[in-house]
Amino acid sequence: MEPSRDDFVIAIRSAFLKKGAQQRFSLLSLIFFSIIFLILGSFNFKVTNYVKIAIEEIVYRSSFIVSIPENLLKDNYVVVQNYLNLYKVNEKNISELKELKSKNISKNITEYENIRLKQLIDDYFVAGNEIFAKVLIDKKSPFLRSVIINKGSKNSIKLGMAVLDGIYFIGKVVEVNYITSRVLLISDINSKIPVSLEPNNIQAIMSGNGNEKGIIEYISGTNLKNKNEKLIVFTSGMAGLFKSGIPIGIIDKKNLLSDTGLMVDFYKDLSQLKYVKILSFEKEFLNSTIQTKEVVNKINIENLKNENIDFLKKQKEISEDIRKKLEDQNSLLNKQLIELRKENIELNNLIKEGKDIVSQDAERQKDIKFLELNLLYGSKCSKNNFKNILKKKYRIGTPEYRACVLNKGKY
Amino acid sequence: MSSVNKNIKLFLYKNFPVVLLFVIVLNEIDFNYLDLKYFSFNFSYILIFHYSIKRSQSLGYIYIFIAGLFNDVIVGTPIGLSSLMYLILCVAAAYLRNITLRPSLIKDGIFFLITILIINSLLFIALNLIFDYELELFDQIINITFTFLLYFLFSNIFNFCEKYLMSNNNVK
Repeated sequence: MEPSRDDFVIAIRSAFLKKGAQQRFSLLSLIFFSIIFLILGSFNFKVTNYVKIAIEEIVYRSSFIVSIPENLLKDNYVVVQNYLNLYKVNEKNISELKELKSKNISKNITEYENIRLKQLIDDYFVAGNEIFAKVLIDKKSPFLRSVIINKGSKNSIKLGMAVLDGIYFIGKVVEVNYITSRVLLISDINSKIPVSLEPNNIQAIMSGNGNEKGIIEYISGTNLKNKNEKLIVFTSGMAGLFKSGIPIGIIDKKNLLSDTGLMVDFYKDLSQLKYVKILSFEKEFLNSTIQTKEVVNKINIENLKNENIDFLKKQKEISEDIRKKLEDQNSLLNKQLIELRKENIELNNLIKEGKDIVSQDAERQKDIKFLELNLLYGSKCSKNNFKNILKKKYRIGTPEYRACVLNKGKY
Repeated sequence: MSSVNKNIKLFLYKNFPVVLLFVIVLNEIDFNYLDLKYFSFNFSYILIFHYSIKRSQSLGYIYIFIAGLFNDVIVGTPIGLSSLMYLILCVAAAYLRNITLRPSLIKDGIFFLITILIINSLLFIALNLIFDYELELFDQIINITFTFLLYFLFSNIFNFCEKYLMSNNNVK
Protein backbone atom coordinates (compact mmCIF):
# COMPACT_ATOMS: atom_id res chain seq x y z
CA MET A 1 0.00 0.00 0.00
CA GLU A 2 2.78 2.38 0.91
CA PRO A 3 4.38 2.77 -2.57
CA SER A 4 1.03 3.33 -4.36
CA ARG A 5 0.06 6.03 -1.84
CA ASP A 6 3.41 7.67 -2.44
CA ASP A 7 2.81 7.57 -6.20
CA PHE A 8 -0.56 9.25 -5.77
CA VAL A 9 0.94 11.98 -3.59
CA ILE A 10 3.79 12.51 -6.01
CA ALA A 11 1.41 12.71 -9.00
CA ILE A 12 -0.87 15.17 -7.24
CA ARG A 13 2.00 17.28 -5.98
CA SER A 14 3.51 17.29 -9.43
CA ALA A 15 0.15 18.30 -10.97
CA PHE A 16 -0.26 21.19 -8.59
CA LEU A 17 3.26 22.50 -8.32
CA LYS A 18 5.20 21.52 -11.42
CA LYS A 19 5.63 24.33 -13.91
CA GLY A 20 6.12 23.42 -17.56
CA ALA A 21 8.82 24.84 -19.76
CA GLN A 22 6.74 27.87 -20.69
CA GLN A 23 4.62 28.16 -17.54
CA ARG A 24 5.30 31.14 -15.33
CA PHE A 25 2.84 30.25 -12.60
CA SER A 26 2.04 26.94 -10.97
CA LEU A 27 -1.55 25.72 -10.96
CA LEU A 28 -1.76 26.05 -7.21
CA SER A 29 -0.89 29.75 -7.27
CA LEU A 30 -3.43 30.44 -10.03
CA ILE A 31 -6.16 28.52 -8.18
CA PHE A 32 -5.28 30.61 -5.17
CA PHE A 33 -5.67 33.80 -7.28
CA SER A 34 -9.07 32.65 -8.53
CA ILE A 35 -10.33 32.04 -5.01
CA ILE A 36 -9.08 35.48 -3.93
CA PHE A 37 -10.92 37.04 -6.89
CA LEU A 38 -14.10 35.23 -5.92
CA ILE A 39 -13.93 36.23 -2.28
CA LEU A 40 -13.10 39.87 -2.99
CA GLY A 41 -15.82 40.01 -5.67
CA SER A 42 -18.45 38.64 -3.29
CA PHE A 43 -17.57 41.35 -0.74
CA ASN A 44 -17.84 44.10 -3.40
CA PHE A 45 -14.25 45.12 -2.89
CA LYS A 46 -13.61 48.37 -4.77
CA VAL A 47 -10.39 47.39 -6.51
CA THR A 48 -11.95 44.14 -7.73
CA ASN A 49 -14.94 46.05 -9.05
CA TYR A 50 -12.69 48.40 -11.03
CA VAL A 51 -10.73 45.45 -12.42
CA LYS A 52 -14.00 43.76 -13.28
CA ILE A 53 -15.36 46.84 -15.07
CA ALA A 54 -12.10 47.23 -17.04
CA ILE A 55 -12.20 43.56 -18.10
CA GLU A 56 -15.87 43.88 -19.02
CA GLU A 57 -15.27 46.89 -21.26
CA ILE A 58 -12.49 45.07 -23.11
CA VAL A 59 -14.25 41.74 -23.30
CA TYR A 60 -17.62 43.07 -24.50
CA ARG A 61 -16.04 44.97 -27.37
CA SER A 62 -13.73 42.15 -28.40
CA SER A 63 -16.53 39.62 -28.05
CA PHE A 64 -18.65 41.74 -30.38
CA ILE A 65 -15.89 41.66 -32.98
CA VAL A 66 -15.14 37.95 -32.54
CA SER A 67 -18.86 37.14 -32.77
CA ILE A 68 -19.25 38.77 -36.20
CA PRO A 69 -18.79 35.54 -38.23
CA GLU A 70 -21.14 33.57 -35.99
CA ASN A 71 -23.66 36.40 -36.06
CA LEU A 72 -23.50 36.43 -39.85
CA LEU A 73 -24.17 32.72 -39.89
CA LYS A 74 -26.97 33.11 -37.38
CA ASP A 75 -28.56 36.00 -39.31
CA ASN A 76 -28.49 34.00 -42.54
CA TYR A 77 -30.06 31.05 -40.78
CA VAL A 78 -32.80 33.30 -39.44
CA VAL A 79 -33.35 34.84 -42.89
CA VAL A 80 -33.76 31.40 -44.45
CA GLN A 81 -36.16 30.37 -41.70
CA ASN A 82 -38.17 33.55 -42.22
CA TYR A 83 -38.40 32.93 -45.97
CA LEU A 84 -39.64 29.43 -45.34
CA ASN A 85 -42.32 30.68 -42.97
CA LEU A 86 -43.23 33.74 -45.05
CA TYR A 87 -46.50 32.48 -46.51
CA LYS A 88 -47.93 31.26 -43.21
CA VAL A 89 -46.83 34.40 -41.37
CA ASN A 90 -48.38 36.59 -44.06
CA GLU A 91 -51.73 34.83 -43.82
CA LYS A 92 -51.67 35.06 -40.06
CA ASN A 93 -50.71 38.73 -40.19
CA ILE A 94 -53.55 39.59 -42.54
CA SER A 95 -56.13 38.00 -40.28
CA GLU A 96 -54.57 39.60 -37.20
CA LEU A 97 -54.48 42.99 -38.89
CA LYS A 98 -58.20 42.84 -39.61
CA GLU A 99 -58.92 41.93 -36.03
CA LEU A 100 -56.62 44.59 -34.62
CA LYS A 101 -58.01 47.34 -36.81
CA SER A 102 -61.43 46.78 -35.34
CA LYS A 103 -60.07 46.66 -31.82
CA ASN A 104 -57.91 49.74 -32.18
CA ILE A 105 -60.69 52.29 -32.03
CA SER A 106 -62.20 50.98 -28.83
CA LYS A 107 -58.69 50.86 -27.36
CA ASN A 108 -58.14 54.52 -28.20
CA ILE A 109 -61.37 55.42 -26.46
CA THR A 110 -60.36 53.49 -23.35
CA GLU A 111 -56.96 55.18 -23.34
CA TYR A 112 -58.37 58.66 -23.58
CA GLU A 113 -60.99 57.92 -20.98
CA ASN A 114 -58.26 56.64 -18.72
CA ILE A 115 -56.31 59.85 -19.13
CA ARG A 116 -59.41 61.96 -18.49
CA LEU A 117 -60.29 60.00 -15.38
CA LYS A 118 -56.76 60.27 -14.06
CA GLN A 119 -56.95 64.02 -14.58
CA LEU A 120 -60.26 64.10 -12.76
CA ILE A 121 -58.82 62.46 -9.68
CA ASP A 122 -55.64 64.54 -10.02
CA ASP A 123 -53.49 61.44 -10.44
CA TYR A 124 -50.09 61.41 -12.08
CA PHE A 125 -48.89 60.08 -15.37
CA VAL A 126 -45.76 58.09 -15.70
CA ALA A 127 -43.34 59.46 -18.22
CA GLY A 128 -39.80 58.40 -18.86
CA ASN A 129 -36.58 59.21 -20.68
CA GLU A 130 -36.04 56.90 -23.60
CA ILE A 131 -32.59 55.65 -24.52
CA PHE A 132 -32.10 53.42 -27.52
CA ALA A 133 -29.30 50.88 -27.49
CA LYS A 134 -27.87 48.20 -29.73
CA VAL A 135 -27.47 44.64 -28.50
CA LEU A 136 -23.75 43.85 -28.57
CA ILE A 137 -23.69 40.30 -27.28
CA ASP A 138 -26.56 37.88 -27.10
CA LYS A 139 -25.14 34.57 -25.97
CA LYS A 140 -28.27 32.70 -24.98
CA SER A 141 -26.30 30.65 -22.49
CA PRO A 142 -28.48 27.99 -20.88
CA PHE A 143 -27.37 29.19 -17.47
CA LEU A 144 -27.93 32.92 -17.72
CA ARG A 145 -30.24 34.67 -20.15
CA SER A 146 -28.81 38.13 -20.56
CA VAL A 147 -27.66 40.52 -23.28
CA ILE A 148 -25.05 43.24 -23.37
CA ILE A 149 -26.04 46.65 -24.76
CA ASN A 150 -23.81 49.45 -26.00
CA LYS A 151 -24.98 52.12 -23.55
CA GLY A 152 -23.70 52.59 -20.02
CA SER A 153 -23.41 55.09 -17.21
CA LYS A 154 -22.05 57.58 -19.78
CA ASN A 155 -25.54 57.61 -21.32
CA SER A 156 -27.34 57.88 -17.94
CA ILE A 157 -28.21 54.20 -17.73
CA LYS A 158 -28.96 53.16 -14.17
CA LEU A 159 -29.47 49.86 -12.42
CA GLY A 160 -33.02 48.54 -12.50
CA MET A 161 -34.14 50.49 -15.59
CA ALA A 162 -36.78 48.76 -17.69
CA VAL A 163 -35.80 47.46 -21.13
CA LEU A 164 -38.39 47.30 -23.89
CA ASP A 165 -38.49 46.01 -27.45
CA GLY A 166 -41.13 48.13 -29.14
CA ILE A 167 -43.85 48.39 -26.53
CA TYR A 168 -43.12 45.03 -24.94
CA PHE A 169 -41.20 44.52 -21.74
CA ILE A 170 -38.15 42.26 -22.15
CA GLY A 171 -35.92 42.76 -19.12
CA LYS A 172 -34.13 45.06 -16.73
CA VAL A 173 -30.64 46.50 -16.38
CA VAL A 174 -28.65 44.52 -13.81
CA GLU A 175 -25.11 45.74 -14.41
CA VAL A 176 -23.87 49.13 -15.58
CA ASN A 177 -20.39 49.87 -16.91
CA TYR A 178 -19.15 53.11 -18.42
CA ILE A 179 -20.14 52.41 -22.03
CA THR A 180 -21.89 49.04 -21.77
CA SER A 181 -24.58 47.45 -19.60
CA ARG A 182 -25.99 44.00 -18.97
CA VAL A 183 -29.70 43.36 -19.33
CA LEU A 184 -31.22 40.40 -17.52
CA LEU A 185 -33.96 39.03 -19.76
CA ILE A 186 -37.35 38.02 -18.41
CA SER A 187 -36.70 34.47 -19.60
CA ASP A 188 -33.91 34.03 -17.05
CA ILE A 189 -34.66 31.93 -13.97
CA ASN A 190 -33.31 34.68 -11.73
CA SER A 191 -35.61 37.33 -13.14
CA LYS A 192 -38.56 38.03 -10.82
CA ILE A 193 -41.06 40.53 -12.17
CA PRO A 194 -44.24 41.64 -10.39
CA VAL A 195 -47.04 41.17 -12.91
CA SER A 196 -50.79 41.36 -13.10
CA LEU A 197 -52.92 38.95 -15.11
CA GLU A 198 -55.86 40.38 -17.00
CA PRO A 199 -58.82 40.01 -16.94
CA ASN A 200 -59.53 39.81 -13.20
CA ASN A 201 -56.44 41.84 -12.24
CA ILE A 202 -54.65 38.97 -10.49
CA GLN A 203 -51.32 39.90 -8.94
CA ALA A 204 -48.39 37.51 -9.32
CA ILE A 205 -44.63 37.18 -9.69
CA MET A 206 -43.23 35.99 -13.00
CA SER A 207 -39.93 34.24 -13.44
CA GLY A 208 -38.22 32.88 -16.56
CA ASN A 209 -37.82 29.18 -17.18
CA GLY A 210 -34.35 29.47 -18.69
CA ASN A 211 -35.68 28.94 -22.21
CA GLU A 212 -38.08 31.14 -24.12
CA LYS A 213 -40.99 31.14 -21.67
CA GLY A 214 -41.98 32.59 -18.34
CA ILE A 215 -43.53 30.90 -15.32
CA ILE A 216 -46.06 32.43 -12.96
CA GLU A 217 -44.64 31.56 -9.58
CA TYR A 218 -46.57 33.27 -6.84
CA ILE A 219 -50.24 33.95 -7.41
CA SER A 220 -51.81 35.78 -4.52
CA GLY A 221 -54.35 33.22 -3.28
CA THR A 222 -56.19 32.72 -6.56
CA ASN A 223 -57.10 29.55 -8.33
CA LEU A 224 -56.99 30.18 -12.05
CA LYS A 225 -58.07 26.77 -13.26
CA ASN A 226 -61.70 27.66 -13.83
CA LYS A 227 -61.18 31.11 -15.28
CA ASN A 228 -60.70 32.43 -18.79
CA GLU A 229 -58.77 30.48 -21.36
CA LYS A 230 -56.38 33.29 -22.21
CA LEU A 231 -54.76 35.68 -19.77
CA ILE A 232 -52.70 38.71 -20.71
CA VAL A 233 -49.63 39.42 -18.59
CA PHE A 234 -48.68 43.04 -17.82
CA THR A 235 -46.22 44.63 -15.44
CA SER A 236 -48.15 45.43 -12.30
CA GLY A 237 -46.09 48.42 -11.21
CA MET A 238 -45.89 46.93 -7.69
CA ALA A 239 -42.90 47.97 -5.60
CA GLY A 240 -42.46 50.96 -7.91
CA LEU A 241 -39.98 49.13 -10.12
CA PHE A 242 -41.68 49.70 -13.44
CA LYS A 243 -44.66 51.52 -14.84
CA SER A 244 -47.81 49.43 -14.67
CA GLY A 245 -49.42 48.10 -17.82
CA ILE A 246 -46.42 47.28 -19.98
CA PRO A 247 -47.40 44.14 -21.93
CA ILE A 248 -45.19 41.08 -21.45
CA GLY A 249 -46.93 38.02 -22.85
CA ILE A 250 -49.96 35.82 -22.92
CA ILE A 251 -51.01 32.70 -21.03
CA ASP A 252 -52.94 30.19 -23.05
CA LYS A 253 -54.59 27.91 -20.53
CA LYS A 254 -55.11 25.25 -23.16
CA ASN A 255 -51.37 24.57 -22.82
CA LEU A 256 -51.56 24.46 -19.05
CA LEU A 257 -49.62 21.56 -17.58
CA SER A 258 -50.13 20.51 -14.01
CA ASP A 259 -46.43 20.08 -13.27
CA THR A 260 -45.10 23.28 -14.82
CA GLY A 261 -47.87 25.67 -13.80
CA LEU A 262 -48.82 28.70 -15.84
CA MET A 263 -46.47 29.24 -18.76
CA VAL A 264 -46.22 32.70 -20.30
CA ASP A 265 -45.62 33.02 -24.04
CA PHE A 266 -43.73 36.26 -24.52
CA TYR A 267 -44.89 38.67 -27.17
CA LYS A 268 -41.31 39.16 -28.30
CA ASP A 269 -38.83 36.56 -29.47
CA LEU A 270 -36.00 37.17 -27.01
CA SER A 271 -33.48 35.43 -29.24
CA GLN A 272 -33.93 38.02 -31.99
CA LEU A 273 -33.11 41.23 -30.17
CA LYS A 274 -31.20 43.84 -32.18
CA TYR A 275 -32.15 47.22 -30.76
CA VAL A 276 -33.80 47.88 -27.43
CA LYS A 277 -35.31 50.82 -25.60
CA ILE A 278 -34.30 51.60 -22.04
CA LEU A 279 -36.74 53.57 -19.94
CA SER A 280 -36.62 55.30 -16.61
CA PHE A 281 -39.93 56.29 -15.08
CA GLU A 282 -40.67 59.57 -13.43
CA LYS A 283 -43.81 61.05 -11.99
CA GLU A 284 -45.17 64.13 -13.63
CA PHE A 285 -48.38 66.00 -12.74
CA LEU A 286 -50.76 67.21 -15.43
CA ASN A 287 -53.44 69.67 -14.40
CA SER A 288 -53.88 72.02 -17.30
CA THR A 289 -57.46 72.50 -18.48
CA ILE A 290 -56.34 72.88 -22.10
CA GLN A 291 -55.01 69.35 -22.10
CA THR A 292 -58.23 68.17 -20.50
CA LYS A 293 -60.25 69.82 -23.26
CA GLU A 294 -58.05 68.28 -25.90
CA VAL A 295 -58.52 64.88 -24.39
CA VAL A 296 -62.29 65.36 -24.12
CA ASN A 297 -62.41 66.44 -27.78
CA LYS A 298 -60.46 63.40 -28.76
CA ILE A 299 -62.83 61.18 -26.81
CA ASN A 300 -65.80 62.79 -28.54
CA ILE A 301 -64.24 62.26 -31.96
CA GLU A 302 -63.46 58.67 -31.16
CA ASN A 303 -66.97 58.12 -29.81
CA LEU A 304 -68.41 59.57 -33.02
CA LYS A 305 -66.22 57.25 -35.05
CA ASN A 306 -67.36 54.37 -32.92
CA GLU A 307 -71.04 55.25 -33.45
CA ASN A 308 -70.48 55.48 -37.20
CA ILE A 309 -68.83 52.15 -37.15
CA ASP A 310 -71.72 50.64 -35.19
CA PHE A 311 -74.19 52.10 -37.70
CA LEU A 312 -72.18 50.75 -40.62
CA LYS A 313 -71.93 47.39 -38.93
CA LYS A 314 -75.72 47.22 -38.56
CA GLN A 315 -76.19 48.28 -42.18
CA LYS A 316 -73.76 45.60 -43.18
CA GLU A 317 -75.66 43.03 -41.16
CA ILE A 318 -78.97 43.99 -42.82
CA SER A 319 -77.50 43.91 -46.31
CA GLU A 320 -75.92 40.58 -45.47
CA ASP A 321 -79.36 39.23 -44.48
CA ILE A 322 -80.93 40.51 -47.70
CA ARG A 323 -78.12 39.10 -49.75
CA LYS A 324 -78.52 35.74 -48.07
CA LYS A 325 -82.27 35.67 -48.72
CA LEU A 326 -81.76 36.64 -52.36
CA GLU A 327 -79.17 33.95 -52.72
CA ASP A 328 -81.59 31.38 -51.29
CA GLN A 329 -84.35 32.48 -53.68
CA ASN A 330 -81.94 32.45 -56.55
CA SER A 331 -80.84 28.93 -55.84
CA LEU A 332 -84.50 27.81 -55.54
CA LEU A 333 -85.37 29.39 -58.90
CA ASN A 334 -82.33 27.83 -60.47
CA LYS A 335 -83.49 24.41 -59.31
CA GLN A 336 -86.98 25.02 -60.72
CA LEU A 337 -85.52 26.17 -64.03
CA ILE A 338 -83.42 23.05 -64.30
CA GLU A 339 -86.49 20.86 -63.64
CA LEU A 340 -88.56 22.75 -66.25
CA ARG A 341 -85.81 22.33 -68.80
CA LYS A 342 -85.83 18.61 -68.18
CA GLU A 343 -89.62 18.46 -68.60
CA ASN A 344 -89.34 20.48 -71.83
CA ILE A 345 -86.84 18.04 -73.26
CA GLU A 346 -89.10 15.09 -72.36
CA LEU A 347 -92.14 16.76 -74.01
CA ASN A 348 -90.15 17.53 -77.16
CA ASN A 349 -89.20 13.90 -77.36
CA LEU A 350 -92.87 12.86 -77.06
CA ILE A 351 -93.90 15.30 -79.84
CA LYS A 352 -91.21 13.96 -82.09
CA GLU A 353 -92.39 10.41 -81.52
CA GLY A 354 -96.04 11.50 -82.29
CA LYS A 355 -94.94 13.20 -85.50
CA ASP A 356 -93.16 10.07 -86.59
CA ILE A 357 -96.29 8.00 -85.98
CA VAL A 358 -98.45 10.52 -87.93
CA SER A 359 -96.07 10.55 -90.87
CA GLN A 360 -96.02 6.73 -90.89
CA ASP A 361 -99.87 6.72 -90.93
CA ALA A 362 -99.97 9.13 -93.87
CA GLU A 363 -97.62 6.89 -95.80
CA ARG A 364 -99.84 3.90 -95.09
CA GLN A 365 -102.95 5.85 -96.21
CA LYS A 366 -101.21 6.72 -99.48
CA ASP A 367 -100.26 3.09 -99.98
CA ILE A 368 -103.85 1.92 -99.34
CA LYS A 369 -105.22 4.57 -101.74
CA PHE A 370 -102.70 3.50 -104.39
CA LEU A 371 -103.69 -0.18 -103.96
CA GLU A 372 -107.39 0.69 -104.28
CA LEU A 373 -106.78 2.77 -107.45
CA ASN A 374 -104.43 0.11 -108.73
CA LEU A 375 -107.28 -2.37 -108.74
CA LEU A 376 -109.39 0.05 -110.80
CA TYR A 377 -106.89 1.76 -113.10
CA GLY A 378 -103.87 -0.53 -113.00
CA SER A 379 -104.80 -2.09 -116.36
CA LYS A 380 -104.86 1.35 -118.01
CA CYS A 381 -101.35 2.16 -116.99
CA SER A 382 -99.80 -1.29 -117.24
CA LYS A 383 -97.57 -2.20 -120.16
CA ASN A 384 -98.91 -5.79 -120.11
CA ASN A 385 -102.40 -4.85 -121.33
CA PHE A 386 -102.84 -5.49 -125.05
CA LYS A 387 -105.52 -2.83 -125.43
CA ASN A 388 -103.16 -0.18 -124.52
CA ILE A 389 -100.59 -1.20 -127.03
CA LEU A 390 -100.82 2.09 -128.88
CA LYS A 391 -100.99 4.20 -125.77
CA LYS A 392 -98.23 5.26 -123.53
CA LYS A 393 -97.59 2.59 -120.89
CA TYR A 394 -95.40 2.03 -117.85
CA ARG A 395 -93.79 -0.93 -116.25
CA ILE A 396 -95.34 -1.99 -112.91
CA GLY A 397 -93.53 -0.78 -109.87
CA THR A 398 -91.96 2.31 -111.43
CA PRO A 399 -92.72 5.80 -110.05
CA GLU A 400 -94.34 6.76 -113.41
CA TYR A 401 -96.71 3.80 -113.12
CA ARG A 402 -97.57 4.86 -109.55
CA ALA A 403 -98.24 8.44 -110.71
CA CYS A 404 -100.44 7.11 -113.57
CA VAL A 405 -102.50 4.97 -111.15
CA LEU A 406 -102.90 7.87 -108.71
CA ASN A 407 -104.09 10.06 -111.66
CA LYS A 408 -106.73 7.42 -112.31
CA GLY A 409 -105.24 6.17 -115.55
CA LYS A 410 -104.61 9.60 -117.07
CA TYR A 411 -101.23 10.17 -118.49
CA MET B 1 7.42 30.83 -50.36
CA SER B 2 7.78 27.48 -48.69
CA SER B 3 9.54 29.08 -45.71
CA VAL B 4 6.61 31.50 -45.30
CA ASN B 5 4.19 28.58 -45.34
CA LYS B 6 6.36 26.75 -42.87
CA ASN B 7 6.41 29.79 -40.56
CA ILE B 8 2.62 30.12 -40.74
CA LYS B 9 2.19 26.45 -39.94
CA LEU B 10 4.68 26.73 -37.10
CA PHE B 11 2.78 29.71 -35.70
CA LEU B 12 -0.54 27.90 -36.03
CA TYR B 13 0.86 24.77 -34.45
CA LYS B 14 2.20 26.69 -31.48
CA ASN B 15 -0.68 29.08 -30.93
CA PHE B 16 -3.72 27.26 -32.30
CA PRO B 17 -5.01 26.04 -28.89
CA VAL B 18 -4.64 29.45 -27.21
CA VAL B 19 -6.26 31.33 -30.11
CA LEU B 20 -9.07 28.80 -30.29
CA LEU B 21 -9.61 28.98 -26.54
CA PHE B 22 -10.02 32.77 -26.60
CA VAL B 23 -12.24 32.69 -29.70
CA ILE B 24 -14.47 30.12 -28.02
CA VAL B 25 -14.62 32.02 -24.76
CA LEU B 26 -15.42 35.31 -26.47
CA ASN B 27 -17.80 33.78 -28.99
CA GLU B 28 -19.23 30.78 -27.13
CA ILE B 29 -19.82 28.58 -30.14
CA ASP B 30 -22.71 26.56 -28.79
CA PHE B 31 -25.28 26.50 -31.64
CA ASN B 32 -27.92 27.97 -29.36
CA TYR B 33 -29.46 29.86 -32.26
CA LEU B 34 -30.65 26.53 -33.68
CA ASP B 35 -33.10 26.46 -30.76
CA LEU B 36 -32.39 22.84 -30.00
CA LYS B 37 -34.08 22.43 -26.67
CA TYR B 38 -31.98 19.62 -25.32
CA PHE B 39 -28.57 20.47 -26.67
CA SER B 40 -25.70 22.38 -25.10
CA PHE B 41 -22.08 21.61 -24.48
CA ASN B 42 -18.98 23.24 -23.06
CA PHE B 43 -16.39 23.39 -25.80
CA SER B 44 -13.79 25.12 -23.64
CA TYR B 45 -13.72 22.16 -21.21
CA ILE B 46 -13.02 19.79 -24.10
CA LEU B 47 -10.26 22.00 -25.50
CA ILE B 48 -8.53 22.60 -22.17
CA PHE B 49 -8.65 18.95 -21.12
CA HIS B 50 -7.48 17.65 -24.48
CA TYR B 51 -4.51 20.00 -24.78
CA SER B 52 -3.58 19.70 -21.10
CA ILE B 53 -3.18 15.97 -21.66
CA LYS B 54 -1.67 15.90 -25.12
CA ARG B 55 0.45 19.03 -25.21
CA SER B 56 0.44 20.80 -21.87
CA GLN B 57 3.00 23.41 -22.93
CA SER B 58 0.68 24.70 -25.71
CA LEU B 59 -1.90 26.13 -23.30
CA GLY B 60 -0.25 28.23 -20.62
CA TYR B 61 -2.00 28.14 -17.27
CA ILE B 62 -2.01 31.91 -17.16
CA TYR B 63 -3.90 32.01 -20.49
CA ILE B 64 -6.41 29.53 -19.12
CA PHE B 65 -6.80 31.71 -16.03
CA ILE B 66 -7.42 34.84 -18.16
CA ALA B 67 -9.80 32.94 -20.45
CA GLY B 68 -11.76 31.94 -17.35
CA LEU B 69 -12.02 35.58 -16.29
CA PHE B 70 -13.27 36.50 -19.77
CA ASN B 71 -15.80 33.67 -19.65
CA ASP B 72 -17.13 34.92 -16.32
CA VAL B 73 -17.60 38.37 -17.77
CA ILE B 74 -19.38 37.05 -20.86
CA VAL B 75 -21.65 34.60 -19.07
CA GLY B 76 -22.24 36.87 -16.08
CA THR B 77 -21.11 34.50 -13.34
CA PRO B 78 -19.03 35.77 -10.38
CA ILE B 79 -15.58 36.69 -11.59
CA GLY B 80 -12.95 34.03 -10.90
CA LEU B 81 -15.36 31.09 -10.85
CA SER B 82 -14.76 29.84 -14.40
CA SER B 83 -11.00 30.31 -13.92
CA LEU B 84 -11.17 28.11 -10.87
CA MET B 85 -13.10 25.43 -12.77
CA TYR B 86 -10.72 25.55 -15.73
CA LEU B 87 -7.74 25.24 -13.43
CA ILE B 88 -9.27 22.28 -11.56
CA LEU B 89 -9.73 20.69 -14.98
CA CYS B 90 -6.02 21.33 -15.64
CA VAL B 91 -5.10 19.73 -12.30
CA ALA B 92 -7.09 16.62 -13.23
CA ALA B 93 -5.49 16.51 -16.66
CA ALA B 94 -2.00 16.94 -15.18
CA TYR B 95 -2.66 14.14 -12.69
CA LEU B 96 -3.89 11.85 -15.48
CA ARG B 97 -0.81 12.70 -17.54
CA ASN B 98 1.49 11.87 -14.65
CA ILE B 99 -0.05 8.50 -13.91
CA THR B 100 -0.63 7.36 -17.51
CA LEU B 101 1.93 5.11 -19.15
CA ARG B 102 -0.09 4.01 -22.16
CA PRO B 103 -2.53 6.72 -23.33
CA SER B 104 -5.96 5.68 -24.58
CA LEU B 105 -8.86 7.84 -25.75
CA ILE B 106 -11.48 5.78 -23.92
CA LYS B 107 -9.68 6.07 -20.57
CA ASP B 108 -9.15 9.79 -21.14
CA GLY B 109 -12.85 10.15 -21.94
CA ILE B 110 -13.95 8.35 -18.78
CA PHE B 111 -11.58 10.43 -16.67
CA PHE B 112 -12.89 13.54 -18.41
CA LEU B 113 -16.46 12.55 -17.56
CA ILE B 114 -15.60 12.12 -13.88
CA THR B 115 -13.78 15.45 -13.88
CA ILE B 116 -16.60 17.44 -15.50
CA LEU B 117 -19.09 15.83 -13.15
CA ILE B 118 -17.02 17.06 -10.21
CA ILE B 119 -16.47 20.49 -11.77
CA ASN B 120 -20.13 21.03 -12.62
CA SER B 121 -21.15 19.87 -9.16
CA LEU B 122 -18.78 22.42 -7.64
CA LEU B 123 -20.10 25.07 -10.02
CA PHE B 124 -23.69 24.22 -9.12
CA ILE B 125 -22.97 24.30 -5.39
CA ALA B 126 -21.04 27.57 -5.64
CA LEU B 127 -23.64 29.35 -7.77
CA ASN B 128 -26.70 27.99 -6.03
CA LEU B 129 -25.65 28.02 -2.41
CA ILE B 130 -23.04 30.75 -2.15
CA PHE B 131 -23.98 33.26 -4.85
CA ASP B 132 -27.79 32.71 -4.91
CA TYR B 133 -28.06 31.98 -8.63
CA GLU B 134 -30.81 29.63 -9.73
CA LEU B 135 -29.70 26.90 -12.11
CA GLU B 136 -31.63 24.18 -13.89
CA LEU B 137 -30.17 20.84 -12.87
CA PHE B 138 -31.55 19.22 -16.01
CA ASP B 139 -29.71 21.73 -18.24
CA GLN B 140 -26.50 20.95 -16.39
CA ILE B 141 -26.96 17.22 -16.93
CA ILE B 142 -27.59 17.76 -20.66
CA ASN B 143 -24.52 19.97 -20.83
CA ILE B 144 -22.34 17.36 -19.13
CA THR B 145 -23.68 14.55 -21.31
CA PHE B 146 -23.04 16.33 -24.59
CA THR B 147 -19.66 17.64 -23.44
CA PHE B 148 -18.63 14.06 -22.65
CA LEU B 149 -19.97 12.63 -25.92
CA LEU B 150 -18.45 15.35 -28.06
CA TYR B 151 -15.07 14.96 -26.36
CA PHE B 152 -14.32 11.92 -28.53
CA LEU B 153 -15.28 13.73 -31.74
CA PHE B 154 -13.33 16.90 -31.00
CA SER B 155 -10.35 14.98 -29.68
CA ASN B 156 -10.06 13.21 -33.03
CA ILE B 157 -10.53 16.49 -34.90
CA PHE B 158 -7.76 18.14 -32.87
CA ASN B 159 -5.46 15.18 -33.50
CA PHE B 160 -6.19 15.37 -37.21
CA CYS B 161 -5.45 19.13 -37.29
CA GLU B 162 -2.18 18.59 -35.43
CA LYS B 163 -1.14 15.87 -37.84
CA TYR B 164 -1.93 18.17 -40.76
CA LEU B 165 0.08 21.02 -39.28
CA MET B 166 3.01 18.73 -38.47
CA SER B 167 3.07 17.06 -41.87
CA ASN B 168 5.58 18.27 -44.51
CA ASN B 169 7.21 20.59 -42.02
CA ASN B 170 8.50 18.44 -39.21
CA VAL B 171 7.33 21.13 -36.86
CA LYS B 172 8.51 20.47 -33.36
